[in-house]
Amino acid sequence: MVSRLLKNWGGPAFFLLISLVPLLLGVGYALLYSLGLVGVLSEGFTLSHWESLLRKSSFWQTMGFSFYVALVTIMLAGVLAASLVLRDPKRFRQPTPSFLMYMPLAIPAIVMAFFIFQLLSKGGWLSRLSYKLGLINDLLAFPDWINDNYGIGIIVSHLLMATPFFVLFFTNIYDNEQIASYRQLAYTMGASRRQARWRIELPMLLRPAAPTLFLYFLFVMGSYEVPLLLGSQSVQMVSVLTIQKMQRFNLENIPQAYVTSVVYTMLVVLLIALMAWLSPKKQTS
Amino acid sequence: MYLRIKQLEKTFGGQRVLHPTNFAVTQGQVLSVLGRSGSGKTTLLKIIAGLEEPDRGEVFLDNSPITTWSPQKRGIVYLYQEPLLFPHLTVRENIGFGLSLRRVSTPDISRRVDEMIQHLELEGQAEKMPDQLSGGQRQRVAFGRALIINPKVLLLDEPFAALDSQTRGQMQQLFKKMAARHGITALFVTHDLKEALIMGDQLAVIRKGHWRLYEDRESFMRDPETGVQDELAFWEQWRS
Repeated sequence: MVSRLLKNWGGPAFFLLISLVPLLLGVGYALLYSLGLVGVLSEGFTLSHWESLLRKSSFWQTMGFSFYVALVTIMLAGVLAASLVLRDPKRFRQPTPSFLMYMPLAIPAIVMAFFIFQLLSKGGWLSRLSYKLGLINDLLAFPDWINDNYGIGIIVSHLLMATPFFVLFFTNIYDNEQIASYRQLAYTMGASRRQARWRIELPMLLRPAAPTLFLYFLFVMGSYEVPLLLGSQSVQMVSVLTIQKMQRFNLENIPQAYVTSVVYTMLVVLLIALMAWLSPKKQTS
Repeated sequence: MYLRIKQLEKTFGGQRVLHPTNFAVTQGQVLSVLGRSGSGKTTLLKIIAGLEEPDRGEVFLDNSPITTWSPQKRGIVYLYQEPLLFPHLTVRENIGFGLSLRRVSTPDISRRVDEMIQHLELEGQAEKMPDQLSGGQRQRVAFGRALIINPKVLLLDEPFAALDSQTRGQMQQLFKKMAARHGITALFVTHDLKEALIMGDQLAVIRKGHWRLYEDRESFMRDPETGVQDELAFWEQWRS
């Protein structure tokens, strides 16, 4: 009986134990801390930390900014990668282009952020090149692409990591789903290149890719190193805000850091539930 | 002759997959082509559909040379071994796909799709997605999607190979019925001897890129290379 239970449920139970339990414990602790039930400042149940944070416009700006950066990054990376793959699906199966796409994936995020900083800051390579070419009169005249309020540096940095990933991912989908055969079939039925691309190739590519695009969106939304180096001080991404509140000398900020993390977790869970609800349900006849 | 193939040749990577090939198909007739895997039959069909370019030779459709025409202009639909239903479209949208490309009005598409669904005996399945259908139903939808645009020629590359024998028999009968109703000109490629005999008005064999068209059913059956004689001998031994 016990051995049968272990055989059937041992694997899933072990997975839950090592993945879900620590997460639930962490969120649970954060929730208790934010409600004043645990921690050094614990004075019993209170909603004051929640009220004080949720009333701050800067908190909602942070949430909105994180959402915006993630959305723009995924949309641009998706469009770029899909365009590259659909333009010539065979190209990225060849050794050199495939190697060139794998390379950026091996670079740590902080290194990529540092590279973007060197490239796009006012004292960076592009700025100096523009100055040498006479495009700007002063290095300071170079536009604010780093630590700016639009998150340009953060988006570019994530884009350089996400686009190669999605190129390789889309190439695999293109092969596995036999999209080339569907395209040829559409041609013989009279579809122009444009019609085949928009009505067949693109939906067939994006449909199976949707969960991964969504997970990458969450990854960018919660990213830390890149916005820490390239983000603005006036509007921060959620992970940066949380860590800063956690590490400030003012201990009053710690419960607010936990409120931020709980709200962010709730938002992620909500988005996952929405995604699961929207995804097509399979039925068999 | 409606579809005429003249001296068609194709080589891939130094290997000749199609030796000079000549044949013709009369309008409204089905030409069964018997061929094993690697015999060059798919290459031949793809060249006729405009999906591959021949090294030499010409394809004529209704006396017009179409060798350089794009697949879109030819009006020749190529059906693969798998139904290849567009997975993001319902049965109704799959069948109406070709009509929607031709900017046919929505009510007209709807009416013609409903008629086709009825002919294919797929009532009640119109709003289902392809992954909710059985293998036979998917193949029916693939037929309907091709037939609804009245193709000039239909190229079928072992369309029933993945089906079980009972469904395969049903699909053969359905195809015969639909071919007669729509006056279809078709090349039906199969590796199954019985299927070739059932489906074709004319018969041909392709072996290692060499093509042979038979004058009549009798000459096809007499030729030891088709395998009919071996098949007959096999069944004869059980009778005796």
